[in-house]
Amino acid sequence: MHLMDEPNAAVVEDELTYFAFANKAPSTTETLPRTHGVKALPDVLSGRYKLERLLGVGGMGAVYRARDLMREQYGDPEPFVAIKTLSEDFAEYPDASALLYSEFALTTRLRHPHIVRLHGFDIDRESERAYITLEMLRGLTLDKLLCDHPQGMGWEALRDIAIPLLEALAFAHSQGVLHGDIKPSNVILAEDGLRLFDFGLGQPVEGVLPGLPRLSRNRFTAWTPRYASLELLDGAPLTSSADVYAVSCVLYELATGQHPYRRLSAKQARAMQIEPTPPAQLSKPCWQVLRTGLQFAEPDRQIDASGLLDGFRHVKQSSTLGRWLGLRQSA
Amino acid sequence: MLWRSAARTDAGKVRARNEDAFLDSPEQGLWAVADGMGGHSQGDLASRLIIESLAELPIGAGFDERLQQLRQCLHWLNRRLNQELTVIADQADTIIGSTVVALLCDDKRAACVWAGDSRCYLWRSGRLYQLTKDHSVQQRMIDEEKLTPEQAARHPAAHALTQAIGANEKLALDILEFSLMPGDSMLLCSDGLYKGISQNAIGAALSLPSAQIALERLFDTALLGPARDNLTAIVIRRQE
Repeated sequence: MHLMDEPNAAVVEDELTYFAFANKAPSTTETLPRTHGVKALPDVLSGRYKLERLLGVGGMGAVYRARDLMREQYGDPEPFVAIKTLSEDFAEYPDASALLYSEFALTTRLRHPHIVRLHGFDIDRESERAYITLEMLRGLTLDKLLCDHPQGMGWEALRDIAIPLLEALAFAHSQGVLHGDIKPSNVILAEDGLRLFDFGLGQPVEGVLPGLPRLSRNRFTAWTPRYASLELLDGAPLTSSADVYAVSCVLYELATGQHPYRRLSAKQARAMQIEPTPPAQLSKPCWQVLRTGLQFAEPDRQIDASGLLDGFRHVKQSSTLGRWLGLRQSA
Repeated sequence: MLWRSAARTDAGKVRARNEDAFLDSPEQGLWAVADGMGGHSQGDLASRLIIESLAELPIGAGFDERLQQLRQCLHWLNRRLNQELTVIADQADTIIGSTVVALLCDDKRAACVWAGDSRCYLWRSGRLYQLTKDHSVQQRMIDEEKLTPEQAARHPAAHALTQAIGANEKLALDILEFSLMPGDSMLLCSDGLYKGISQNAIGAALSLPSAQIALERLFDTALLGPARDNLTAIVIRRQE
């Protein structure tokens, strides 16, 4: 940190000419307007949802807070919804709307208190952009929680996150739905409880929901490197075991504040033979199940989400998470 | 209110998209400019996410606590845009990021926090001070290899950034704290503005009688040039 009360003059050189970024070279081709086949997202979708604030952005899409003008007209004091759209680049894929619909269809089949509730799927006629409307969640995402608590959290607070998160995942798997992108920013501690969200890379297991468009991982590969299992990085199809690896990484990080493999991808970590150290607050049996979930090799990962859940459930006390976070608890 | 401020952004004459964003919040004593970069069309989302997140920072606390919250928010955004980003394997350029320069003020103190090459200037007693030091390869070569700005500018990567929100796993923010004096004016701006206008012209604009008039002068001058990049500026003036 610099501290300055009396700045020195002559700090400024005349006529410095910088360009902002390496990928913004001022060539004539670069500066031509882009010719997108995709129209920009309007401020109001379908004449009803007024986009107010960007809540999140990813490689594929963006989520906004929107005001539902119809609900507002009828005097709803909380007329807010979240809107998920595909990014403009991704929306250029010819089957982009079908993939967003697939996310909608998968998630709406999961009725669980700890899985995000979707309202609807629609296409804005004017811009031809598809979008999902979903419940507006206010609270802390786990990535924010980790930034605020870099040392990790005590057993009770950890358990109060782990149990609903694993319940949600075990339920999704029991319904034949795989998440495909579990990471801290896809879990929120909302005012009325935890929600797992963003099934954008989700898939039904083979044979479930026939006829639904499937995201072909041969043609389209996406992941979050630090939470993707080794077999996914090697091109294997998504399985429930890959979700178990990802959620185990998230739980370890919540316990210690540190990613189990020093923020390396599974490939890098295996090459370096990194062994995660047991978090101090975990009992031996609980650490054993979590360690199994963190195995690089899929055949060694002999545990499912229900097994992890059992490992975290073996000590059950009253909930302290809300008190610990200072969150308002709903009745 | 203690502050008068005026802000404006413009896509410039060439770019179809404006990836700059700003926060002009005199009631919070908080202002910020963000200049987004993205693989394709995501740069505007990165700068918008930063600005809209800063806009929701709580107001009530004291200066030190607010500065801490501001820094924490930027570190979280860095994590969100870097480690938490879903990567599409075929798209090598999936960096989504943005510069940021933010100014937090109370009645006596100010702190400027930045990452990247968006700048903060101070106009005090008829002199112009550049408070921020760019996080760019050019600036690093000036500092470490003692090159002149002209020599450093010839490096092929001179304009590349060494820090930005979302660019690296670890974010190193720079922070400069200073005491405010009566008559101080501050300017936050993206590179599209300062590269299109001389330092003397910036000083001349900031000496004008109001923030709004100063801002108009800055844009009038910058838009006389080629204005290839997006340009954004906020002029902040303490009430007498």
